[in-house]
Amino acid sequence: MAEQVLLRERPAGVQEKPVPARSRERLLQVLFLVPAVLYLLLFFGYPVAKNVLMSFQSYTTATFYTGEAPWVGLDNYTRALGSAVFDKALVNTVLFTVGSIAGQFVIGLALAVFFHRRFPLGGVLRSLLLLPWLIPLIVSGAVWRWILDQDNGALNRFLGATGVADRPGWLTSTSLALIAVIIVNIWIGIPFNTTILYGGLQDIPDELYEAAAVDGATGRRAFRYITWPLLRPVVGVVLVLGVVYTVKVLDIILGLTNGGPANATQTLATQSYHLSFQEFDFGQGAAVGNVLILISLAFAVLYLRATRRAVDE
Amino acid sequence: MRRRAWGSTVAGVLILGVLLFPVYWMVNVSLQPGGSAVDVPWLPLDVSFDGYATALDQQGRNLVTSLIVSLGSVVFSLLVAAPAAYALAHFRIRGANWVLFGILISQMVPGIVVANALYSAYNDLGLLNSIPGLILADSTAGIPFAILIVRAFMGGIPMSVVEAARTDGAGPIRAFVSIVLPMSRNALITAGLFTFLFTWGDFLFALTLTTTEEVRPVTLGLYQYIGTYVNDWSAVMATAVLASIPAVILLLVAQRYVAAGTTGGAVK
Amino acid sequence: MHRPVLATLMIVPLVLAAAACGGGGSDDSGDSGTLRVLDYYNNEPDKTVYQQALEKCGQQNGVTIERETVPGANLIAKVLQQSSSRTLPDVLMIDNPDLQQIAATGALAPVTDFGLSADGYAKGVVDASTYQGKLFGLQPVTNTIGLFYNKDLLAEAGVQPPTTWAELRTAAKTLTKGDRYGVAFSAPANYEGTWQFLPFMWSNGGDEKNIATPQVAQALQLWVDLLGDKSASRSVLNWTQADVNDQFKAGKAAMMVNGPWQFPVLNEDTKLHYDVVPIPAPQAGGTVVAPLGGETWTIPQTGSKDRQAKAAKVVGCLNADDSQLSLGKLRQTVPTKTALGEQFVAANPSMKAFTTAVQTARARTGELGADWPKAATKIYTGVQTALTGGAAPQQALQQAQNG
Repeated sequence: MAEQVLLRERPAGVQEKPVPARSRERLLQVLFLVPAVLYLLLFFGYPVAKNVLMSFQSYTTATFYTGEAPWVGLDNYTRALGSAVFDKALVNTVLFTVGSIAGQFVIGLALAVFFHRRFPLGGVLRSLLLLPWLIPLIVSGAVWRWILDQDNGALNRFLGATGVADRPGWLTSTSLALIAVIIVNIWIGIPFNTTILYGGLQDIPDELYEAAAVDGATGRRAFRYITWPLLRPVVGVVLVLGVVYTVKVLDIILGLTNGGPANATQTLATQSYHLSFQEFDFGQGAAVGNVLILISLAFAVLYLRATRRAVDE
Repeated sequence: MRRRAWGSTVAGVLILGVLLFPVYWMVNVSLQPGGSAVDVPWLPLDVSFDGYATALDQQGRNLVTSLIVSLGSVVFSLLVAAPAAYALAHFRIRGANWVLFGILISQMVPGIVVANALYSAYNDLGLLNSIPGLILADSTAGIPFAILIVRAFMGGIPMSVVEAARTDGAGPIRAFVSIVLPMSRNALITAGLFTFLFTWGDFLFALTLTTTEEVRPVTLGLYQYIGTYVNDWSAVMATAVLASIPAVILLLVAQRYVAAGTTGGAVK
Repeated sequence: MHRPVLATLMIVPLVLAAAACGGGGSDDSGDSGTLRVLDYYNNEPDKTVYQQALEKCGQQNGVTIERETVPGANLIAKVLQQSSSRTLPDVLMIDNPDLQQIAATGALAPVTDFGLSADGYAKGVVDASTYQGKLFGLQPVTNTIGLFYNKDLLAEAGVQPPTTWAELRTAAKTLTKGDRYGVAFSAPANYEGTWQFLPFMWSNGGDEKNIATPQVAQALQLWVDLLGDKSASRSVLNWTQADVNDQFKAGKAAMMVNGPWQFPVLNEDTKLHYDVVPIPAPQAGGTVVAPLGGETWTIPQTGSKDRQAKAAKVVGCLNADDSQLSLGKLRQTVPTKTALGEQFVAANPSMKAFTTAVQTARARTGELGADWPKAATKIYTGVQTALTGGAAPQQALQQAQNG
């Protein structure tokens, strides 16, 4: 795997400059990484390898006890990817991810900029913003399910009272359910985005803004020429993590709609879970899970390319 | 100027009001008698503490377990992640990109995959039902995350500062401990905060890696209330509210340190 | 080189400490004085009812019970982990539609090996616990669903409890008023939705082997019509059975499809007067075929014949006549030995409709066995497609059948 390649490449790195002090320095530098790499290998490398193997096997409940899982080649992939649900889940995953990220990031950035201005109680309010993260997902799922309930939900009671709309079926209409699930996921993601982006803003020295103000750049122009460029590394990591976390969101969809109505909110993550733990077809579940990992991989590659370019600049 | 500042406070309260409505709703339901989800009044006028009585009775010990595991996971994650983040941000190590790649991949692995693999390994090692076992497993969320976040922030620390210390004779480890770590305080606090929250909210590992009541995080205690046929939602919501309180206190305290770190930076 | 040591030191103490503190392995396999039990009765009153029943059976057989309860949705994952690491409990409770799935792994011992038998049990119950001709579990009590109705609301509207589909539709229409619906049921995107649809589908001659048939389509048409008449809320697409019960209890639905486990909750409200009748049949005089619920108790292959024999004694004790009657009474469930029916209804009149329904009820896995989950997914998907207006019933079912 990737980590093994790394281990093999190390001596090559050392050979670059064959000065003894230099190579000792290199060794020390590598040691900074050792605990993390060891941990990643044990806690991720092993499970992932197991999952990849599983996707080429006929892995059923019996396998857990007997340990026997016959090889089936690409069979799990052709069956899982050939089903009508898969296409729908793929489209939903893209819509869900793009919608959630766009919402979380824009609102998160706006709030981070807002809280960056110093005002009374700002710190306390910012901490309270993290509250949605403290509530266990099964509870927020239940709370949102009631808020969005068509007949008695708080949202529809409010909309009805103000005459804005007449009881939309947030979780029961095939055209609204995905939007509703995205809204809830945005709500969950806002604290994360706000906090990290706020941290990034804090690290931009005030002197830069003062200097820019002298040149007449304030407000929007200051944001464009100072805030945004300096925030870019943090923005990069927030977006990539956002994509990676959003693509595999499971609990909240299971809690709100379980993929329904009529697969309207079925994503690759829920489909993988369903295949493994509801239909007990672990091989197919792993296959869909691996497709999911491949999709996030594409994003990771894009991100790495972008950061490498940033380093080179 | 002062009036404008208070104007921001009002705006902030309004924004929070909208964003925290679901949280309010949770508190509201927890105070309702009856525990039904239908026609919950907007305000808890007819307050009942039955749900809290039930919850308090059974969750005290679990809250302590959650706190120990969460704090342990923060410490362990930062110990592993901070040096790695520094190495990835500042050393030109061959293959560092592969490590980064591995970290990103690790974030894509569904938790259930990790949990299933860990169960058999833990069983062989005798790590089931142990707090260190939970700390190690829960750090699967914290460590990669902390590395990525702290790395992103450390990238902003000018290498010249570290090099200045090195020319004064400090080794790389001392330079890291005495220069880099203090300068990365904000990033470390942010990473620690989220690691705490990840672990605090963990349910999957709590469920798969514990079997007894001795070691039971509060999330699992909460799930125990929610069965196939839940009807007493007020007790469930009360437990959720109680489970949030220690974490809220900790967050408020941590935020003060973030603020302190900022002013410290401004003085310098 | 002391510095590399520093790095390793960061991890080693933790692992060592972990190993020292860790207990909870399977180190007690030699001791047959304690039996490990795993079940999902983690809610009251079931939790206490079974705790007492298990302790009593343990006492009778000279063993201590060490019980673990997990949330229902997570039992199977736990069982699979335990079977791969050989840490299965001595006595394992399984939801009846999952039994064949677990039996297929070879992790369970046939209970007949230990002298237990299911003679005199309702046929559907025996079917559910049988895999490849062998009996792998014994189920003391079962349940099913019926039609609950609010007596006051029906009397007020002059409506009789419906016995046929046509009557159900008319009654629901009449009873719908203001923000109150005539009927509520549960049709979410999970097996709960399938479970609620089964009595309609089966009673009309539908079969899970192929759901793209006119029989199933007619049953689905009934549900579509109830929504089309606005006699039932569209929210049924997202309601669990507990949600449905909340609606009924709050007077927001005059009738509901639900099970006897809701009695304790409904009885909390003394102003609510309700009764239960069997699910309406397609036509007058038709037989209603309802699905069987409940959990079966099994004896996993733990490798120790001695412990298994003791486990069998406990399972047998849970299934004895007096235990069946008492579990039935305390948990609002129906004893599975048919001979106990009359005596049980005499003592618990509110269970009459359910006790009758159990006689003709079917096991979900009776026909397809371990293939049931795939069929169950098709059923709720088809139901949801039609209810959301995505396709007409026959077409929706055809799509779902094709997968």
